[in-house]
Amino acid sequence: MLNASNAGTTVVPARRPFVMVLTDRRLLTRAAWLMAIMGAGGFLRLWDLGRIGFNSDEAVYTGQAAALAGNPHLQPLFPVFRAHPLLFQVLLSLVLRTGTSDIKARMVAAAFGIATILVVYLLGKLLYGAPVGMVSAAIMAVTPYGVVVSRQVLLDGPMAFFATVTLYCLARYCLVRDPRWLYAAGAMMGLTILAKETAALLLVAIFEFFALVRTRRPRWREWSAALLIMIAVVAVYVAALVVAHRTHTGEQYFLWQSARPANHSYGFYIRVVPPAVGWGVIALAFGGAAWTWRSNGWREGLLLTWVLVPAAVFSLVVAIKGFQYLEFIAPALSVLAARTVVLAPVRHKPRQARLVQIGRAAVGALLLVSLAITSWQQLNPAPTTSFLAGSGGLPGGRETGYWVDGHVPQGGQLLTIGPSMANVIQFYGHRRTLALSVSPNPLDRNPSYEPVDNPDQQLRQGNFQYLVWDTFSAHRSPTFSSKLLSYVSKYHGVAVYTQLIPVRQRDGHTFKTPVIVIYEVIST
Amino acid sequence: MKGYRIIVDLALMAGLVIWPQAAIASPAPGSVTPIQHLVVLMQSGHSFDNYFGTYPGADGITQGVCLRPELSKTSTNGCVQPFHLGNEPVQDLEHSLSVWSRQYDNGLMDGTVAAYRALGLGTNTPMGYYDSHDLPYYWGVAQNYVLFDHFFSSAPVGTRLNRFWWVAGRSTPGNLESLPKGGYGNIPTIFDRLEAAGVSWKFYVQGYHPNVTFRSNTRGKNSEQTAWVPLVDFPRFVDQRELNSHIVDMSQYYTDLNSGTLPAVAFMTSAQSNESPPGNIQAGQQLVRQLTTSLVMSRYWRSSAFMWTYDDWGGWYDQMKPPQGYGFRVPALLMSPYAKKGQVNHTVLDYTSILRFTEYNWRLAPLASRDYRSNNLLSAFDFTAGPRPAQLIGQAAVLPEANVAPAVSILYLLAMVVGIALALWAWLTTRSPDEVIKK
Repeated sequence: MLNASNAGTTVVPARRPFVMVLTDRRLLTRAAWLMAIMGAGGFLRLWDLGRIGFNSDEAVYTGQAAALAGNPHLQPLFPVFRAHPLLFQVLLSLVLRTGTSDIKARMVAAAFGIATILVVYLLGKLLYGAPVGMVSAAIMAVTPYGVVVSRQVLLDGPMAFFATVTLYCLARYCLVRDPRWLYAAGAMMGLTILAKETAALLLVAIFEFFALVRTRRPRWREWSAALLIMIAVVAVYVAALVVAHRTHTGEQYFLWQSARPANHSYGFYIRVVPPAVGWGVIALAFGGAAWTWRSNGWREGLLLTWVLVPAAVFSLVVAIKGFQYLEFIAPALSVLAARTVVLAPVRHKPRQARLVQIGRAAVGALLLVSLAITSWQQLNPAPTTSFLAGSGGLPGGRETGYWVDGHVPQGGQLLTIGPSMANVIQFYGHRRTLALSVSPNPLDRNPSYEPVDNPDQQLRQGNFQYLVWDTFSAHRSPTFSSKLLSYVSKYHGVAVYTQLIPVRQRDGHTFKTPVIVIYEVIST
Repeated sequence: MKGYRIIVDLALMAGLVIWPQAAIASPAPGSVTPIQHLVVLMQSGHSFDNYFGTYPGADGITQGVCLRPELSKTSTNGCVQPFHLGNEPVQDLEHSLSVWSRQYDNGLMDGTVAAYRALGLGTNTPMGYYDSHDLPYYWGVAQNYVLFDHFFSSAPVGTRLNRFWWVAGRSTPGNLESLPKGGYGNIPTIFDRLEAAGVSWKFYVQGYHPNVTFRSNTRGKNSEQTAWVPLVDFPRFVDQRELNSHIVDMSQYYTDLNSGTLPAVAFMTSAQSNESPPGNIQAGQQLVRQLTTSLVMSRYWRSSAFMWTYDDWGGWYDQMKPPQGYGFRVPALLMSPYAKKGQVNHTVLDYTSILRFTEYNWRLAPLASRDYRSNNLLSAFDFTAGPRPAQLIGQAAVLPEANVAPAVSILYLLAMVVGIALALWAWLTTRSPDEVIKK
C-alpha cells in the first residue's frame, strides 16, 4: 500500500528552529540533492540559450516587455496590449530596464522553469514525502516538455509555475484544512490567469476535484472568499485596460479568440504531449494510478483531475492548440510518476526488500537518463525547413533581423508572407514589418496585426521597400508565398540578403539551404 | 548702380570664356563639401503658405488674417480667412502678372481675394491651404530634414521665366515668357559650366519626348516640355549629340541609381505629376517619395543632397512680401544625410541659390550677377558631423502610444504582491505538514 497517502493523519504546527535544520545531516543531504537536481535542470534550461534567435511569440512578449521598459525602438512596434494579460511581461520589463536582449529574456523565463522544479519538490514532499518530492523534482528537471518550453520566452512557463504553486496551496488546504491555504490558492490562481488567461480552464479541474472528493470540499464561505480573492487579482487585467483606455482592445480579443477556427485536430495534444513529457513518465503516472486504483485517495484525485480535465478541455473545447499550452500538467505528471517509482506496492519477501529498492532506483535512473537524453537531443535538433510554433527558436530569424537593422534605412518597411516572421524581424530589425497573410477582414485576423490593404497598390506607391520570403511561412501558406514571389517578379525584386542554414538530408549529408530571402523592390 | 552691374556682368561674361578652359585643364574636380551628388527637382504651382502655412516654427500664415474682397474699400465685411482645403478639388488658378500684381498690392500682400474678384471669379480657393494630413510625406521630410521658409521664385510669374532662372541664373532675353524663334542662343547655363569642368550631369524629364524642342510646334502636343525643360530651348543642347545625350527620361534616374551611374549634378522635372492645379498633389507627393526613397536606399545616399521646389506660386495666397524683383515664396525642401534635422531655414533664397551652391561645391564660375550674389544653401547643412544614417519617411506619421507602462506595471505588481503576501501569510501562520501525528 502507498505509505503516506493512506495514513489517517492530522498535522500539528511544529517548526524546527533554523539552526537545527542546519545541523540536521539528513536535511542537509536532502538540500544538497535538491540543489543538484535544480542545477541539472538549470543547466538544461540555460545551456547555449542564445544559439537560435527568437520565434514569433518570444519576439512579441519580449517586445511588449521592452515597450513597458521604455525601449524607444520597440515601443512603436509592439503595442503593450495584445492578446494576453501582462504579468510575465511586466516582470520581464523590470529586467529589461537595463537593456533589451534575447538571452536576458530567456534567462528570466528559464528562472521560472527552475523555480517550478522547487515547487514540484515541495508538492511531491507534501503529498507523498521527501523521496517522492525528490524524484518528482528530478523528473521535472529533465522532462523535455519543461526544458523546451522554459527555454523560450513564452507565457506558458510562468503560467505553469503559478499553476503549480496553486496546486501546492490546494494540496496543503486539503491536508491541513485551513482556509488560509484556500485563499492563497485563490490568489495564486488569479496570478496564473494573469500569466495567461487560458489558465482559467484549470478552474474546471478544481471544481471537478471538489465535486468528486466530498471529504475535502470547502465550506461555501471559504469557497466564496477564495473565489473573490481570485477575481480581485484577475481584475487587474481589466483595470489595466481601463486605465489605458483600451477596453475595446480587450473586447476585440475576446471576440476574435471565441470565433477562431481550429488550427489543429482534436488529437493534437495526444500526438505531441506524451513524447514531450516522456512516454516513461506517462506510463508510470497512469500505470501507477491504475495499479492502485482501489486505494487511491484525494491526493491521486487532485493530481489526476489536474492532468486529465485540462487535457480534455483543451483538446475538445479550445479551438486553438499549441505545443506548449499544457505545460502546467507536467508537474502533476512528474509527481504521479515519482509516486509510482518510489511507492508503488510490490509484493516481496522481507529478504528481497533490498532488491526491490535497487529495482526502484534502476527504474528511476533509467527514466531520468532517458528523459535527459531526449531533452539534450531537443536542445540540439537537426536543422529543418519547417517549424512547429512553441517548440523552439526560429532558425535564421535573428540573423536576418540583425541584417535588417544594419542595412535597411530608418523608416523602411518590409512585407513578409506571415506575421510570425514579421514579428521576429520587427524585434531584431527595429523596422516596421507587415504580413501579406493578415486578413483585411477584422473577423479573421488577430486584432494586433495590421492588414495590408491592396498590397499591390502599396508596393506600387513605394510603401514597402523590401519583400521577405521564408521557407517556414511558405510551408504554412503556399498561396501567400506564391503571391509574395509574384510581387518580387512584378516589382523587379533583387535578392539583397539570403539566410542559409545547414539542413541534414535523409542520406545523412548536410547542405546549406536558403530559409529566408530579402528582396529589395522598385516601385517605379 | 547700373554701371556697377554692367561691370559685374562683363566680368562674368569673361569668366564664362576663361573658366571653362581652366576647368578642362584640371579634369573632374571633386566637390568642396561631402555632397558629391546634387539632385534638384522642379515641381509647379504652389505658394509656401499653401503647403506649409501652418507648419510649426515656419514663417507661415499670420494669425487672424482675413483678406478683403475689394481693395478699394476698407471694410472687412465679406473678408476671407485662410482655410483648410483638404480633399476639395481645385481648379486651375489664374496666375498671370495682373493677378500677381493685385495680390502683391504694393507689398501689402493683401490682394489675393480681390485679385480674383476683379477677374469676375468668386472663388475663395486661393486662400485655401494644405496641412500634414494632406501632405504627410512633405511634412515628414520637413520634420526630419530642412524646410526653407524664405525661398522665393526668381521671377514674379512665368513657368518658362522661372525655369530659365533655375538653369541660367538670369532672366530670358527681354524678360519674356514667350520662347524666341531661334531659341535662347548662347546664353550660358549651369550645365555648360559643369560640362566644361568635366563634372558629370544629367537632366531627367518625366515622360521625355526627344522630338519636342524649341524647333517643334510650341503650341502642339507635349509642347509644355519646352517650358518645363529649358535645355530643349537651346540650339546646342538640341543639336550637339554629346550635350543632348544628357537629357533623358526620368526612368533613367532609377537605372543610374542601380547601375552606379548617377551624375554629380542632376536636374529633373516632372510632367503629369508636377502638382500644378488642377493636378493631383498626391501624385506629385508620390513621385517625390519614389525619387527620394530610391536615392536613400541607393549607394549614393551618404554623399547626396536632394532638393525640390516649385516654379511659381500658382495663384495661391502667400503672406510674405518678396524682395524686389522676385516672385512669391514657394515651398522648398532639402534631404541629405548632412541636412540639419528638422531645421526651418530662414535664409533668403531663390532658384539661383541652387546654382550658387553648385558653383561653390564644384568650383565653377558664376553665371550671372544674381547667382553670384545670392545666398548659398550651406546654412542648411552640417558638415561637422558625419552623415546621418539613411532614414525613409513614412507616408503616415506613426503616433506614439500614450505611455501607460507605469500604471500598468504598478497594477500587475500590486497583484503579484497581494498573491505572494497571502501565500506567505498561509505559510507562516498555519500548521506545518512536516510533523505528522497519527490520530
